[in-house]
Amino acid sequence: MLWEKYKSTMKITVNEKCSSAYRKSDHMIQVKNLKKNYVIAKKEKGLGGAIKSLVKSEKQTIEAVKDISFQIAKGEIVAFLGPNGAGKSTTVKMMSGILTPTSGKIFINGKEPYQNRKEVVKDLGVVFGQRTQLNWDLRLGESFELLRHVYQIDKETYEQNLQVMDNILGISEIIDIPVRQLSLGQRMRGDLVAAMLHSPSVLFLDEPTIGLDVDGKYAIRKFIKEINRVKGTTVILTTHDLGDVQELCKRLIIINHGTIIEDGPLEELVERIAPYKDLVVEFYDEEAVEHPKAQLHKQKGNVAKYRFQKADITAAQLIQEISEKKSIKDVAIEEVTIDDIIRIAYHRE
Amino acid sequence: MCNGLAVNWRAFFYVYKTRIQKTLAYRFDVYGNIIWQCIVMFATAYFWKALYTGYDTVKGVQVEDMMTYTIVSSMMSLFFITFVEQRVIQSVEKGTVATDMLKPIPLFGIYFFEDLGYTTSLIVQNVIPIFIIGSIFIGVPVPHSTFMLLLFIPSVIMAYMINWLFAACFSTWAFTAINMNPMVQVKKHLIRLLSGCIIPMWFFPEWLSDILNVLPFVYIYQLPLDIYIGKYEMGILLQKMGIQALWLLVLWCLFVYLQKRVTKHVLVQGG
Ligand SMILES: Nc1ncnc2c1ncn2[C@@H]1O[C@H](COP(=O)(O)OP(=O)(O)OP(=O)(O)O)[C@@H](O)[C@H]1O
Ligand SMILES: [Mg+2]
Repeated sequence: MLWEKYKSTMKITVNEKCSSAYRKSDHMIQVKNLKKNYVIAKKEKGLGGAIKSLVKSEKQTIEAVKDISFQIAKGEIVAFLGPNGAGKSTTVKMMSGILTPTSGKIFINGKEPYQNRKEVVKDLGVVFGQRTQLNWDLRLGESFELLRHVYQIDKETYEQNLQVMDNILGISEIIDIPVRQLSLGQRMRGDLVAAMLHSPSVLFLDEPTIGLDVDGKYAIRKFIKEINRVKGTTVILTTHDLGDVQELCKRLIIINHGTIIEDGPLEELVERIAPYKDLVVEFYDEEAVEHPKAQLHKQKGNVAKYRFQKADITAAQLIQEISEKKSIKDVAIEEVTIDDIIRIAYHRE
Repeated sequence: MCNGLAVNWRAFFYVYKTRIQKTLAYRFDVYGNIIWQCIVMFATAYFWKALYTGYDTVKGVQVEDMMTYTIVSSMMSLFFITFVEQRVIQSVEKGTVATDMLKPIPLFGIYFFEDLGYTTSLIVQNVIPIFIIGSIFIGVPVPHSTFMLLLFIPSVIMAYMINWLFAACFSTWAFTAINMNPMVQVKKHLIRLLSGCIIPMWFFPEWLSDILNVLPFVYIYQLPLDIYIGKYEMGILLQKMGIQALWLLVLWCLFVYLQKRVTKHVLVQGG
């Protein structure tokens, strides 16, 4: 009894310390030197290997997340990018209290998820695009009802939240369908609603648009934007669809081989990786003109492609100066696509 | 459990309620269960009858008590069904532990109330039918006395809990060993054999029953059945119920410990 009391007072002081540290920095999410190793039994081939592994199995360590630190302020929408196997999902699982980090610390709202899992997840919404948290055996509505009880949401707030989300995601038409009969897109919408029913202040989305059609993606992006605007929800989103990033995120964190390689606004990254644009000009003959601030990058027939640094000259200026020298039939400006930029970022070590 | 959060009974009750509704709505394996258990019950009853030919009592037990024993034990086997192992194995294999852990309630709390809901519907669907069938074809299983019946009820509840906690502790293995489906089957049949479910302790050789009496299994079937047929005096039965309660406590502590340990080392399969 005394021990219990002692322990609980201990806990309170620890929590207070954390939360005061949190208040000072005013970050919703803090991740410090996070590391996760997966230890797996190394399987040897053949019967001999199988017998050997019965006696003594060799362990292999995979460093999924090596040393990650970042901070996210309240109300931010941050994209978490990286190639397959970079460690994104592992990080999200640690932040949602499912996996315990090998070392390092995470604070969500001042609390550590792997230590107070139940406390932290109360204020957390999570969607894993690859799996559902809806109950396979229940109808969608019953699944929500179960969550209403789990999160102890009062009926009025619940109806209201459902109404708001229905407006964007069109849930009411599928609410009576058993979860196992939902299509991927319908299920994903259901999962998003399930994650937001209890109005959490933090939302983790691990590939929320995977496998969705254009309308599905549009609805989900609109939904994320809307809850972020209205409720100030902090969102972390991992995705391979860069449209999501362009639509939603001001900031992106790129991770590769378990370490962060970029952290900043999208425009800054674009500036750094591709500080240039291409101007494609069509002349009336095959003779292209030179310009001191643009490099003649490619030429084919009447069409010439100039590459110029955005800092040096504007496109309008360049067009004007070229047309003063020689008459122009047509122009087009080509920017490096975000896909290219991200690909370059992934491959840069 | 001791983290300052009040237990969320309403969520558990909802889990319990929906599980009952679902089980009553889809009456899939109901008849299979009853038919199988009927076969076991009749076979056992005729086996005992054959054994008793020429004797009034064997080891101080009359043939009528033996019939009662058989029917009540069949009812209990239908009632003591646990799905927690299957549930844990599946959620580890498919990686759905991840989503189970996103809910702010104890992981095994949901599993327990699902099982309890299932058990409750089984009372209607299986236990009562088998009672009626047994009563008609073998004989009404009358308890030794009203008082014994009153004692039987708490003892069966404790037995249910011991059985469930044992299954839950066992299931935590699934977090580390991947394929444990065969082990679940072995465990299930071993418990039936070692708990007096099929053969009462008093037919075992003394050295074996002495060993088994130290293990928790006899407190799942044998003790409640002993109480029902009034095999021992009140004093001895109460004493045994004390040991039963003690086992319940031990398993509870083990369960709390294992559950804590296991959730710290959870592995999630798949991205
Ligand atoms: N349960 C596991 N056991 C062993 N290794 C794992 C496990 N889960 C992930 N890994 C390994 O950890 C690394 C990171 O995986 P993670 O799922 O975090 O990648 P990701 O960035 O989400 O990739 P993707 O974009 O493909 O989803 C990978 O090398 C993967 O093989
Ligand atoms: Mg992933």
